[in-house]
Amino acid sequence: MSVLKAQGLTKVYGSKGKMLYRALSDIDLDIQKGEFVGVMGPSGSGKTTLLNILATIDKATSGKVEIGGVNPAVLDDKKLALFRRRELGFIFQDFNLLDTLSIKENIILPLVLDNTNIKEIEKRLQQSAELLGISAILDKRTYEVSGGQKQRAAIARAMIHQPAILLADELTGNLDSKSAKDVMDSLKDLNEQMGATIMMVTHDPFAASYCKRIVFIKDGSFFSEIRRGTNRQAFFQQILDSLSVLGGNFDELSAVRN
Amino acid sequence: MNFRQFAIKNVRGNWHQYVAYFLSSVFSVMIFFIYAAFIFHPDVVHGHIHAAKGVRTGMLFCEYIIAIFSFFFILYSMSAFLKSRKKEFGLLSLFGMTRGQMRRMVLYENIATSLLAIGTGIAFGTLFLKLFFMALSTILEMEHPIRFFIAGKALLLTAAGFFVLFLFITLITLFQVGRSQIIDLLKASKKPKSPPLASKWLVLLSVCCLGAGYYLAYTMNMSNAIVYMLPVVALVVAGTFFLFTQASVIIFRWLQRRKSVYYKQTNLMTISQLVFKMKDNARILFTVSVMSAVILTASGTFYVFFLGSKEQLMDSVPQTISFYEKGLNTHDVLDPEKVRTILKEDRVGISYEVQLVGASAQLPAIGRSLETSTALIISEESYNEYGHKMHRDRPLLSVDPGHAVYVIPYTGVSGSLVETGKPLPVKINDGATELPLTVDRQVSGGSIAYPRGAATELLVVDAAQYTQLLQGVPDDKKTVVYGFELKNWTSQGDTAAKIEALVPEDMKGQFDNRVARYEETKQSMALTLFIGLFISVLFFIASGSMIYFKLFTELEEDRDQFRALNRIGMTAAEIRRTVTTQIAIIFFVPCLVGIVHTMFAMKSLGNLLVVSAMQYSLVVVGIYIVMQSLYFFAARRSYLNKIAKSFTS
Repeated sequence: MSVLKAQGLTKVYGSKGKMLYRALSDIDLDIQKGEFVGVMGPSGSGKTTLLNILATIDKATSGKVEIGGVNPAVLDDKKLALFRRRELGFIFQDFNLLDTLSIKENIILPLVLDNTNIKEIEKRLQQSAELLGISAILDKRTYEVSGGQKQRAAIARAMIHQPAILLADELTGNLDSKSAKDVMDSLKDLNEQMGATIMMVTHDPFAASYCKRIVFIKDGSFFSEIRRGTNRQAFFQQILDSLSVLGGNFDELSAVRN
Repeated sequence: MNFRQFAIKNVRGNWHQYVAYFLSSVFSVMIFFIYAAFIFHPDVVHGHIHAAKGVRTGMLFCEYIIAIFSFFFILYSMSAFLKSRKKEFGLLSLFGMTRGQMRRMVLYENIATSLLAIGTGIAFGTLFLKLFFMALSTILEMEHPIRFFIAGKALLLTAAGFFVLFLFITLITLFQVGRSQIIDLLKASKKPKSPPLASKWLVLLSVCCLGAGYYLAYTMNMSNAIVYMLPVVALVVAGTFFLFTQASVIIFRWLQRRKSVYYKQTNLMTISQLVFKMKDNARILFTVSVMSAVILTASGTFYVFFLGSKEQLMDSVPQTISFYEKGLNTHDVLDPEKVRTILKEDRVGISYEVQLVGASAQLPAIGRSLETSTALIISEESYNEYGHKMHRDRPLLSVDPGHAVYVIPYTGVSGSLVETGKPLPVKINDGATELPLTVDRQVSGGSIAYPRGAATELLVVDAAQYTQLLQGVPDDKKTVVYGFELKNWTSQGDTAAKIEALVPEDMKGQFDNRVARYEETKQSMALTLFIGLFISVLFFIASGSMIYFKLFTELEEDRDQFRALNRIGMTAAEIRRTVTTQIAIIFFVPCLVGIVHTMFAMKSLGNLLVVSAMQYSLVVVGIYIVMQSLYFFAARRSYLNKIAKSFTS
């Protein structure tokens, strides 16, 4: 079953009479339920634009997106926000947790906004927290926990309302390698044990090696696609090879980890 | 772009933060300038204007208040601006801007804003000066309005005075610039906020302070006012301080524990953010509360005095034209027939007439320095008749033979001035007759006719006894109190003046024209209100601007949060709802606390003046709430506009 379907996505920046910049051209993407897809590409390749369009916070110039059978482009602003709240889960590079809330309150925010009853909230919170290994820090404040714990809390927030798809943007970008590994292990558990559908945009070959499928884009167009076998080490090597074929400017700071 | 232009661009860039402060400054410059223009007006200086001297003194006093207030307000605002720009300073020093350059930049910026504020203030002042003079002329009832003239001295004093003030404060605040480490400056806004703590004991203390202060205020009266006054102020101020710093945290904490409230849609955001906002802004909210209480109490007091003075006048001169004569048929002061003629000529209606005949009596006094009290013996019939006609809640008296009721015109006196419940030797007819009378009770504030001279205090006896007593007094020893209550009396000034002109100069002490007295108090009260009004408005605008500024300092942080929330699916309407609630609480809680303080202050004022001040002050409170609401809507609007820019949907 297809959870996310994008056809011929094109995004052009610029206005009449000015120079046009084509950030995305004719991208097709089809993500099945339970898939774990990575999107990779050099800086400026259009990864983030693609993610923003899929996240419904940007609109494509042409082409069509369908998430869970719904075309978000036809929804008005309010319905769109509610659609994001119910059907999408977001994980950001800089966590976007609110300082004024405790970890627990941050996680349950989407449910509270939707007026879920308190028993249901507590039940789902326990499940997610256990799966992500953050039960012990639920009552802490955001600045009392490590980056990895923050990101796992953010993952819990993104999935507590059981969205159709989780969208992650460079989620290991702000983490050290140990934390990055913990976070990616959690994400893998989520995918394998709960069957969550995940799409992740990343620079980091190590993080990408957790995916089941990786789509490479370059200069806004589809470039190539690779699928993982059973061995993650081998897949990691395969990614590095693909990247060297792809060329372009990769963030040198997030060089090979392992 | 040279350095000066850079500084000015900074001001423009931070415009939305500056605007409330700027407007408050403009307003204080404007008021200062208008008052100065009056004070230095050549007609006022040379005494061509009647009554200008008192007004001038009042305005001079206000000028000092404005200057002192402006000093603290500008000092606070400027240092708050600098604090809010820490990150910017960090970045600038990272780029290699020296401390000296940074100070010069701040100096340029402040000079630019202050020149603009002074210029705008004087410009608006000039614009409204004519209007101000016209209003003042109307209140002073001048035939020719004060002419429009801007004295050079007024212009110079305002411009130079405020420029020196701004410059001086800038120099003080410059010490703050460039003192911290770059890293601290850059991280200033990123410092994690630890959850605010509050002590239950301090909350209890706050409640006790407020409770005790309110109790003392509630029970304050003439005799304990001097002892109570300072403790009440101290208790209430301390209580308010802990209320905002401690109790606010405890209250929101309590709400956070009530899951059914807290975990309900936007409440989670609203309450959790308010915990921090209230604590961070506790000092500001406290200051604003106390300021609100001061403004409201001051304006309320003026207003109560204004209205109260009319009430007092109605008691001290019960009829529009009031006079008394010694002798039943003497008309040394005024012939009532002449009064009637004039009233007829002028077609002025009479509500009722009073002709109260009585005889002077002496009886032993208590509770005052006099040994004997002098009172006018009158009958219960007359008292009840005129008391009823006055429509001023005079008691209906019924006196037994051999008994009497003692009536004094003073409302505030609760102690008896004569002994009650036992027969007293009452002397009549200059001591020629003496008989025992038992005074049953005393009526304070019960005058029914001109309470002056021999008729100041009354001894009301039963009708039969009255007739009997009066028979023994020769007609020329009797006292007659006359009163003419005119219809629509407040606008019968001309007729009343015509009647007053008939009274011989040496008899003026036995005559009163209430219209003239009313006009006098009305004028001085209106003048005080008019001059004081601007100061109140100034305080009000400034206190609002403090909240406004605080709100916008946190805007950047809030905007990031709301952007993230919007991304994960919080709708724009939900964000507006939580923002509105938060801003409303920040604006109205200090306003509300200030109003409660004022109510208790008005209660004690009411106790002191023996009027019900509370109802009158509600008018002032109402105006204040309306103005605060306008401020709130303006702030909410511009805040939401700023935030909305970051929404994707």
